[in-house]
Amino acid sequence: MEKAHIELKIPSDVSYVDPVRALVGKLAERLEFSRKRGADIQLVLDEICTNAINHGSAHTTDGIDLRIDVDANSLEILVRDTGRKDAQKDGWITPARLSEIEANRSPCSEGGHGIFLVNSLADVHEMARNAAGGTDVRVIFYRKLED
Amino acid sequence: MSSTELMTLRENADIKIIEIKTDLSSYAASDLRKMLESLLSQKIEKVVVNLSEVNHINSTAVGALVGVAKRLRQTGGDLKICALADNLTRTFNLIGASSVVEIYESEESAIAAF
Repeated sequence: MEKAHIELKIPSDVSYVDPVRALVGKLAERLEFSRKRGADIQLVLDEICTNAINHGSAHTTDGIDLRIDVDANSLEILVRDTGRKDAQKDGWITPARLSEIEANRSPCSEGGHGIFLVNSLADVHEMARNAAGGTDVRVIFYRKLED
Repeated sequence: MSSTELMTLRENADIKIIEIKTDLSSYAASDLRKMLESLLSQKIEKVVVNLSEVNHINSTAVGALVGVAKRLRQTGGDLKICALADNLTRTFNLIGASSVVEIYESEESAIAAF
């Protein structure tokens, strides 16, 4: 399969995540990831988009940007938000905040599991502050690590 | 079709059974949470959630189920889940929610467990 590059912008509204999840599921299928791995990829996509919408972009007009790169061996997803604009909050999820979320995560808690799932399921998971003051989340799934 | 229309409510004696026929991403999870909150406000104590037709669940939806199960137990009730696909079981196991919420293979076994 030749390299392909897809860019999307969706409103900061979780109802738009399902169509993107379906697209990524089809791409994973075309790349011949197993069904199990395809389900993992869709779950990770759901979690990072939901976080970007609910925590990373305060206004629906901002939207979130997605970049998907595929080649014969991998599927890479980048999700970019513009950051919250609240005066009291940093625009991106800082390492300190990440540590706090992880430390407080418990099976009994209702939230805080999304980043844990992404870390558990993606082969590569990186988070960085972007120029807009928001967060870039990049995940990669390699076909060679298929089980 | 809204996700609410894909969540049906049935009764078996004093047990409310929610049958979900849509994937549970954040959008649908919000409707599921509203439905569960409505049952809580009606003082319903026993709930079974049938996920046999669900192919995807995210952490928001798992969190909603865990939260309601915990609240129901405080008043002597419970929420039990049944008929999970393998990938859903894996998500529950990864989060650790399978140690908090009781999961059954079938609706009948979940009902019988009350």
